[in-house]
Amino acid sequence: MTEQRRVLILLVLLSCLMRSIGHAEESRPSLPFGTQEIGLTAGYLLPHRLTTHHTTKQSGPAIMPSWGMVLTDPVGTGWYAGQVILGAEIVYIEFERPVLTHGVGFTPKIKYLFQGAYSIRPYVEFAGGPFYTDLAGRIPEESARFNFVLTAGGGLSWFITPRFALNAGYRFHHISNAGTRFPNLGLNSSLPFGGFSFFF
Amino acid sequence: MVNDFSRASVMAACGLVLAATTGCSRWIELMTPASTPGAPVQLIAQQEQVPLILDRITVTRNGANQPVSLDTERGVLASIRDIGLFARLGAPGSADLSANEKVIRAHVFVDEALDPHPGAAALKGFAIGASMFLLAPVVSLEYDYAAHVALELVRWDGQVKRYESQSAGTARYHLFGATPVLIDELKGHVTDACWTALMRQVVQDTPFYLASSAPLSDSPIRSVSVKGRRPDVSVTSIVPISATANK
Repeated sequence: MTEQRRVLILLVLLSCLMRSIGHAEESRPSLPFGTQEIGLTAGYLLPHRLTTHHTTKQSGPAIMPSWGMVLTDPVGTGWYAGQVILGAEIVYIEFERPVLTHGVGFTPKIKYLFQGAYSIRPYVEFAGGPFYTDLAGRIPEESARFNFVLTAGGGLSWFITPRFALNAGYRFHHISNAGTRFPNLGLNSSLPFGGFSFFF
Repeated sequence: MVNDFSRASVMAACGLVLAATTGCSRWIELMTPASTPGAPVQLIAQQEQVPLILDRITVTRNGANQPVSLDTERGVLASIRDIGLFARLGAPGSADLSANEKVIRAHVFVDEALDPHPGAAALKGFAIGASMFLLAPVVSLEYDYAAHVALELVRWDGQVKRYESQSAGTARYHLFGATPVLIDELKGHVTDACWTALMRQVVQDTPFYLASSAPLSDSPIRSVSVKGRRPDVSVTSIVPISATANK
């Protein structure tokens, strides 16, 4: 990519940001109770070996289509004012390392979307659910193919329009089988991600 | 084998239908104001009807002032129009009113209280999510809305009558039944109950609003009170004051 093209993309992004900040007051509070959200998030899994027993450097891309529903009008005052969103997402991970394998899971998700400032709304989220992967059995940390995935993290939603937002953030990702089989050391990862959401 | 599969399919289909029907259900419980006895229908001469001007609408929500929407204004006018007591309705400064015409001025105060029970919604939402949505048809969530409406009608001779009414309602819904329409329905029912009660009270005072009930004030000069807006007492304002110590 040439330098000029990079500058051009940067300028386009900046103009979008300025434009969205310009009408931010209209776009910010437009998620009434009952609004539904569908989104698509993608990221890349990076390994964390938390103990000396962890040896696997699992990594690979992850894709997470999601659905959610705004359960409250804006609550609270000040910096913590926000809305509760309950939903679910499907997690698909393609482990590129240590062996090309796959994993798929379904996780109910709860998210707190802060009111934020202008068109930027931060959020924190927590999700967990069953996860099936054929990586297990090929690594020393996990023996069962049926596992659970737990994720917690946060991000920023940039509302380009009142109904469309770009998201970026970070999640901590944990996969283990809840002691149903041994060994069960668990796989821990960082998952920086980006994506978008439609609200309707 | 085939029987097992078909039995499982039927059970899964039944479960899906049950979850879809009960998980999406919603209903509204309304606490209507103590009903005042309905006034009998009264016949009044057309020349006895006077126009009404909707002077001011004040809306507060959970104690904070709100901008008045066009829909609110239309709703108020429609409720007053429905009783047929007044000749015509208008906004302040209506050109079709002559200066010396007998006219009723209306001030409306709407105080709304919304409670989406965010803490309970978060907790129940967490439980529903943790159950993989199996609890969605069982656990219901609530959204409360209450309204207190006051209507002040000022007759052309300066006499004021004040009417008040309040109503409240709770929308109960299962997770998949949550929709913005539900809250609109709840607000509609509650507001409607308030205005129905309010208009009953107004109709009982019909003679008070007839053109022949009082003469037009002779004095062409009318006084109006001019005042600044009251500060919001719930908001603490901190004013920095520089202080110097004298030694």
